[in-house]
Amino acid sequence: MEFTTTGMLNEDGIHVDMDRLKKGEVNLGTSIMAVTFKDGVILGADSRTTTGAYIANRVTDKLTRVHDTIWCCRSGSAADTQAVADIVQYQLGLYATRNGKNPTTQTAASIFQEICYANKDRLSAGLIIAGWDERHGGQVYSIPLGGSLHKQAYAIGGSGSTYIYGYCDAHWREGMEEAEAVDFVKGALREAIKWDGSSGGVIRMVVLTEQGADRHLYLPDTDYKVRHY
Amino acid sequence: MAAMFSQNPVMNGPNYSFSDAPRTANGEFREHRFNPYSDNGGSTLAIAGADFTIVAGDTRSTSGYSINSRYTPKVFKIGGTTSSQDDATILLSVVGFAADGEALRDRLDAICKIYRYRHGKPMSVTACAKRLSTILYQKRFFPYYVHAILGGLDEEGKGAVFSYDPVGSYEREQCRAGGAAASLITPFLDNQVNFKNQYVPGSGTGHDLKEREVVPLVRRDAEILVKDAFDGAVERHIEVGDGLQMMTITKDGIEEVLLPLKRD
Amino acid sequence: MAGFDFTNYNRNAALHARGVPLPKATSTGTTIVGCIFDGGVVIAADTRATSGPIVADKNCEKLHYIAPQIWCAGAGTAADTEFTTAIISSNLELHALSTGRKPRVVTCMTMLKQHLFRYQGHIGAYLVVAGVDPTGVHLFTVHAHGSTDKLPYVTMGSGSLAAMSVFESQWKPNLGRDDAVKLCSDAILSGIFNDLGSGSNVDVAVITADKTELKRGFVRPNERSAKLKSYAFPKGTTAVLNEKIISKNDIGRYVSVTEVSVGEEAMEIDA
Repeated sequence: MEFTTTGMLNEDGIHVDMDRLKKGEVNLGTSIMAVTFKDGVILGADSRTTTGAYIANRVTDKLTRVHDTIWCCRSGSAADTQAVADIVQYQLGLYATRNGKNPTTQTAASIFQEICYANKDRLSAGLIIAGWDERHGGQVYSIPLGGSLHKQAYAIGGSGSTYIYGYCDAHWREGMEEAEAVDFVKGALREAIKWDGSSGGVIRMVVLTEQGADRHLYLPDTDYKVRHY
Repeated sequence: MAAMFSQNPVMNGPNYSFSDAPRTANGEFREHRFNPYSDNGGSTLAIAGADFTIVAGDTRSTSGYSINSRYTPKVFKIGGTTSSQDDATILLSVVGFAADGEALRDRLDAICKIYRYRHGKPMSVTACAKRLSTILYQKRFFPYYVHAILGGLDEEGKGAVFSYDPVGSYEREQCRAGGAAASLITPFLDNQVNFKNQYVPGSGTGHDLKEREVVPLVRRDAEILVKDAFDGAVERHIEVGDGLQMMTITKDGIEEVLLPLKRD
Repeated sequence: MAGFDFTNYNRNAALHARGVPLPKATSTGTTIVGCIFDGGVVIAADTRATSGPIVADKNCEKLHYIAPQIWCAGAGTAADTEFTTAIISSNLELHALSTGRKPRVVTCMTMLKQHLFRYQGHIGAYLVVAGVDPTGVHLFTVHAHGSTDKLPYVTMGSGSLAAMSVFESQWKPNLGRDDAVKLCSDAILSGIFNDLGSGSNVDVAVITADKTELKRGFVRPNERSAKLKSYAFPKGTTAVLNEKIISKNDIGRYVSVTEVSVGEEAMEIDA
């Protein structure tokens, strides 16, 4: 047990000791992204989980289902993001049975935001929510650290994302075909993994369309070229 | 704060300023310090007999929960004519910070060799003991982070053990344990070498009971105590193990044996 | 009334601020592993418990019972692993009773992660959860902060790096039961010999659909060496400064005395 001051107010503002969040925690020092395309959305992520310099899991699944065609990409503390995702999954399940219809991506993102904002002082969770629903088709929402909510055409996140802002800006096109979008996500994540030490392992993707969820897996053994289902 | 990382005074850009020095959340200066010391674990032990001295140490070197080496000697011959130390008559054991230990050993060895060259005879163990004390005290404010034990035969041929604190306070003793498991081995030694808490059965009642008479150990018995002491220490201290290096000085010279210890 | 007692929190915080050190908990600076094979799962652990650099227990049990077909290997703070597994074992049994179904490993894992997440890492339990249930064979790790992983082979504790090096170099898919047991025990041995926080023996548990086999002391590579002499003291060596004899009849007034036959199970005495 510790008895330390974790934050304080000075004349120049509030100082929060961010080290508290990281001590001994399992981190998803990550590269994650989600993009909209013609028929829906694609979520993508690397698979590295670290505790300090040690890779605690090299085949992590950071793409988490919260409803049939609403998924999220998790970055930050593994414990926090899993806990939040578990709560949202429960809430959406309840929503679907109560109303007899599937929730929209916006509803899901809203529940996520509620939790992230209300507990902003306790959570280190950076989430991207992406989904397909009958009303709006494919949508992507981003919830960064403070708990704000941003609807975007595509979103990138995690420590590896800093390396691919240029790549994404240069290569992004509105209304891509599925194959084009897969190549875009894969190309971006390849760069993120290449330059970010905290990202690595395999590339996982989930394609969300009217047809449901379709998983992709690409291994570094084959230079991420071949799809291993 | 960004100012302090600028390396461009020519362009008249912002530069390092002491008012910009990094501070903690409480407003104090944040010090970035290098810690020059580490603890490499291990344990040492020396026993003086009537005509011999045993100096022993385990051979494990650790840092944290890792083993650096399973064979890093902690007992050294001091003051021989050559680097082989075949004709050395003094033993030094060092435990604590291994790098300081080796530096101390090299210093003392060089001094003993110069003494031998200048005087045409080896240094006596008592003289060497005093000199070691001054070497340690010279670094009073940046000490050698070691517990040193010096062993040899004195001018009368009796076993002599000198033990030191890191800044040069020393004392001649019958026996001494040093290092990580010193607190485990010392009570065993008190009881088995100096016969502490042992009374002669039937020699009286209560406070009239006579203490068991202290007699110098024979060499074989002392060697057994050393081995049993380390076997015990290995059971209960995680930094002790792998090998037991045991050196014995007699009038005929120094004998060295290496015995196995548990490796977990 | 359930839960922890925080009545001394402010007093301890004040003492700590004045430089009084916190009490040192017994830590199982440990190596624990788990590995799935065709038809079941193996978990294994070393048996050393430490308090700082001192060995607190040379042969402790780190394999904890949850349910007949669900077992846990624990690393971290010894008390936390013991109480956390005990409370989840208890709740899981009540859950099984109320649902009338066999407990599932995912249920156990979820209960553990929610319990640990609530305490934000202050409960220092790092667990490997393994078992077989009607849905199949499962293996998870649960970290103290409440995160979980699902993998075919896992390691935890201070010796996890040493143990993982064995898995990463020798593991292959579709292992047989004996291969899995050997691989797990080799991984633990690597921890025992290369990590100072781990030591002594290897405990193994093999869980299959029909039974759980707990192999306590599966490998014992660190038996104590024999002492070179006897340290038995002659009777009367220890000084007796004063004595008071209370007869059995007299002591019977204060406590109840029951005669026990001597010699059946002799007390362990150091020679």
